[in-house]
Amino acid sequence: MTEAVASAVPADAAPGRRDVSRSHAVRRFKWMILAPLVLMLFSLLTPVLLLQLYFSFHQWTVYLSSWWNADFVGFGIFSEVFTDPRFGWAVLRSLAFAGGSTIGCFVFGFLLAYLIYRPFRGQALYYALFILPMLTVPIVIAYSGQMLLDRNGPINDILTLLSGHEVRVLWLSDPNIALLTVTLLDIWNWTPFSFIIMLAGLSSLPKEPVEAAQILGASSWRIFLEVQLPLLRPVILLALVLRFLDAMGAFPIIWALLQGGPGTATETLGVYIYITTWQDFNVSLGAAQSYITMVMMVVIVLAGIRLLRKEKRSLDSMYAKPHATGEAA
Amino acid sequence: MTRTQKRYAAATARYAILTVWASLVAFPLYWMITTSFKPSDQWFSWPPVWFPTPPTLENYGDVWLGTSDIASGGQMALEMQTPFLALRNSMMLAFGSTALAVLYGSIIAYAVSRYRLLSEVRMFQLLMLRMVPPIVIAAPLSLYYSYIGLLDSMIGLGVLYFLSSLPYAVWMTKSFIDEVPREVEQAAEILGASRLRVVFEVVLPLIRSGLVATFMFILILNWSEYLLALILSKTHVVTLPVQLSKYEGSTEGRLFGRQAALSVGITVPLMIVGLLIRKHLARGFSFGMVRR
Repeated sequence: MTEAVASAVPADAAPGRRDVSRSHAVRRFKWMILAPLVLMLFSLLTPVLLLQLYFSFHQWTVYLSSWWNADFVGFGIFSEVFTDPRFGWAVLRSLAFAGGSTIGCFVFGFLLAYLIYRPFRGQALYYALFILPMLTVPIVIAYSGQMLLDRNGPINDILTLLSGHEVRVLWLSDPNIALLTVTLLDIWNWTPFSFIIMLAGLSSLPKEPVEAAQILGASSWRIFLEVQLPLLRPVILLALVLRFLDAMGAFPIIWALLQGGPGTATETLGVYIYITTWQDFNVSLGAAQSYITMVMMVVIVLAGIRLLRKEKRSLDSMYAKPHATGEAA
Repeated sequence: MTRTQKRYAAATARYAILTVWASLVAFPLYWMITTSFKPSDQWFSWPPVWFPTPPTLENYGDVWLGTSDIASGGQMALEMQTPFLALRNSMMLAFGSTALAVLYGSIIAYAVSRYRLLSEVRMFQLLMLRMVPPIVIAAPLSLYYSYIGLLDSMIGLGVLYFLSSLPYAVWMTKSFIDEVPREVEQAAEILGASRLRVVFEVVLPLIRSGLVATFMFILILNWSEYLLALILSKTHVVTLPVQLSKYEGSTEGRLFGRQAALSVGITVPLMIVGLLIRKHLARGFSFGMVRR
């Protein structure tokens, strides 16, 4: 790409000195653009991460006096976190919540996208309807969920009507199903996300392979499985990875709806950190928890990003060739 | 005949599934909207009231204008202000940080597209700004903010919204800039325009509609942010989502109707914005992986 820009410089421009000054200018231009971002990140993240480390190694809660006089305790707080079964459960719950939400969103999103991607009457209307849940505010979903899932709420009413006998499921106060409930709410909220990505993927598929398979007499099931699915691989990965990463950090719905309760039934990582820091005011423990969570999340995000990048690179090389030979068709 | 029958059955099945899902989507929204018009005795009744009789505007009057006295309904008296302050905060924060993110993001995107300012690895690493959840640095952040005087301030929160929406701004505007032919800029450059002038007077005007789409896309994200607003605001920069959660304060007698009236007010503008850019939504998070 750099070569393309360089060769695009008008041919009559004097070579040598002028090229050098141009590349200088380009470098200055680049730095001028990046400087504000680098400066902001540096001045924001450096003190924050240092404070985080400080609190992870010094025992301090807001009940104690000045924080800079806190006692150094070495890895004491970290080992406290690692031996805390509640923290382990929070990790598992986060993974279960994120995994469940990712799979649920993907299955429903893909199904809907597959049903809608070929033009038919009402397509635009269905599309507009289907994306609505994503265009609501998570906290609004939490409070609407509270109304709907109330013991005397309409969901139980509908289930009563459908099943014939009185249903009074305690969606929010039964610790056995509370996590499932918030996962379902999250699926309701974010299925449009997977739907949009899968729809874009399906409608951008090249037509020729499918037509060829049809001519060869393949059933639509086999076409889907053996032609469309492999071509959709990058898009599928995109939908899964992005949704999972986002769900790992989910906070508003769970917090606003249940504050991690009943008991600790919906206490995911974010909620547990919040409770430790802002309800128990145990800043040090919260910092150590955050630190471990941060490292974990960075690793997961980097892995996800790496996966996407690899996929994108193979896509790029796949699409680079037809470009060279002329993509007029 | 059997073939047409089969086709007919398939079409019917499709409409059936789509309609079931459509009602699953619509029902909570229907419930939110009708509840916002219900008088207080119909919020909890069993069996639930499916249509408010008679519909009342009391909830809206109360949460948006503060007409009736909420204190009589419970212990809600504590510093409950009209949400106009929260509305103003939310609008200023969302619009301000989004506008700056799109502006700066599009300049970065231009430099990436034309001068390889960031390699592809760096472009993906930029996404970490969005994807590592803010809760992991929230505690030291609030302490740091309180020392430099940014706690409970618009700028403090705005900077974070700006930074966390920058990755999407860069990626999305880049996808539009990549489609602009280079010849136009080169012509301008030959005529002696500086690089920044080329960006502002040639490239950005060419992708106006893309910029608008990006702006709206990010507006949705910033408008609904909750965690940072909750942690970093005390009384001055309460945003609408945080304001809504204040109605949860009372232990007994939850105020469903009031919450619903506020929820409708928060959600409807967002839906309008989202539906306006519905065609561009996929671009927002496809990171160049969906080819058309």
